[in-house]
Amino acid sequence: MADLSNTETSSSINRDLSVRTRRQRKPKKNLIPVGIGVLVVIVIIGFLLAMKSALLGFFWLTGIGFGFILQKARFCFTASLRDPYLTGSTSLTKAVLIAFVVTTIGFTAIKYGAFIRGLPIPGQGYVVPISFATIFGAFIFGIGMVISGGCASGTLMRVGEGFYMQLLSLAFFIVGSLWGAHDFGWWKLHFMIEGKAVFLPDVFGWFFALVIQLLFIGLLYILADRWEQRGQKQG
Amino acid sequence: MDIKNNQYYKKWFKSAWTYVAGAILLSVLQIATFAVTGNPWGVSGVLANWGAWLYRAIGGSVDKWYYFSSEGAQATLEAGFLNHPGTMRNLGIIFGALLATLLASQFKIKKIKSKKQVVAAILGGLMMGYGARIAFGCNIGALYSGIASLSLSGWVFALFLGLGAIVGSKLLVKFFM
Amino acid sequence: MTEKIVDALGEACPVPLIKAQNAIKELAVGDILILQIDHSCAMKNVPEWARKEGHNVEIEEVDDGEWEIIIEKV
Repeated sequence: MADLSNTETSSSINRDLSVRTRRQRKPKKNLIPVGIGVLVVIVIIGFLLAMKSALLGFFWLTGIGFGFILQKARFCFTASLRDPYLTGSTSLTKAVLIAFVVTTIGFTAIKYGAFIRGLPIPGQGYVVPISFATIFGAFIFGIGMVISGGCASGTLMRVGEGFYMQLLSLAFFIVGSLWGAHDFGWWKLHFMIEGKAVFLPDVFGWFFALVIQLLFIGLLYILADRWEQRGQKQG
Repeated sequence: MDIKNNQYYKKWFKSAWTYVAGAILLSVLQIATFAVTGNPWGVSGVLANWGAWLYRAIGGSVDKWYYFSSEGAQATLEAGFLNHPGTMRNLGIIFGALLATLLASQFKIKKIKSKKQVVAAILGGLMMGYGARIAFGCNIGALYSGIASLSLSGWVFALFLGLGAIVGSKLLVKFFM
Repeated sequence: MTEKIVDALGEACPVPLIKAQNAIKELAVGDILILQIDHSCAMKNVPEWARKEGHNVEIEEVDDGEWEIIIEKV
């Protein structure tokens, strides 16, 4: 596991200090007060939204949470898929797999809880048909996220960090979404209609669906770990 | 009190957290979101609505498009930007990240450096937007939430996303660096 | 001992890391690479990579959201 405090330096480099210090450093600003100001604004917006509807307030609050966590942990779904190939690093890939494990268990508990009470299973809108549209969409999404330096959540996070490049890619993400929505009927008619949505518990039963999925994620974790070690040996 | 040198400030707000800590915390929020709203986290579907609102603002109409033709989609569009929960969540992500960088005193505006970045951002954005619509979501909705919902579609998405990422990496190294 | 400065300011992931990987190949053992970055993710993945490779790494925050990663090739 990576060192928690990466900003702390390991002073093992013997270097000519004069080379380093001769460059004039600008005095650093302290942005914490601005941060506290933004926090106050966030809280006020939260209250205003919650007065309008509790749901709006909840979504706002969780959004703040997601953004804060993504930024603090430098969590990046794009890197988790790109880095094994591009740089040989799989530490983010392994972290994403851990998130899959924890969330799978939580989601399955909620879904199963509804199922045994005879209630409709929630969130089944996310179990979507698999067709050529899935394959083609995922493929071009994969290309797009690597060249623009962030997927949807990553792009939003980087806009918050002050990246103009991601602001531009967000604008065109919106244009692309509209374009995709415009063509959606065509894809539906030609491909999605023949696609099948597969909910794993329908195939394997609840228990085995969960076990198979967790074992598969475990296997991917081991592969990711081996991949990194292999890369290191080759230098 | 000298907050900048306080050890807990440094640990929680200044330093980066580990990836695993991020994974666990994101999972907690995902599960909380699912428990409260009955739906997992999604990001890119909201962006299609933003597109529709902007298109309407410049005089276009999406009412005849199949994607927006359902009663639910129409009701969402009618209710507007400020009454859309998913919109608030996406704006929240931007503000949450802004808050995190400010509290770490690390905010900096990063201007676009080259034409290559402009081309990469435009092409990448378009491909992601289009791809996410026809694949029913992005890395969050289709991949993370799909897989966690025990849907096979999440795994199929993951496989072809990975292939796309490899092609994207080749393109990036060749054209956009 | 030479010092090489690589400017990766304004570059998003994974460009800073690839630049660092390419630059370090051309250096001799004991040389120092200074990578200038302003992308917070690179602040994490570049040192991680360099430490795994066994190089000595130091990070200096030179301004708000701007860092220099100093890598001594081993």
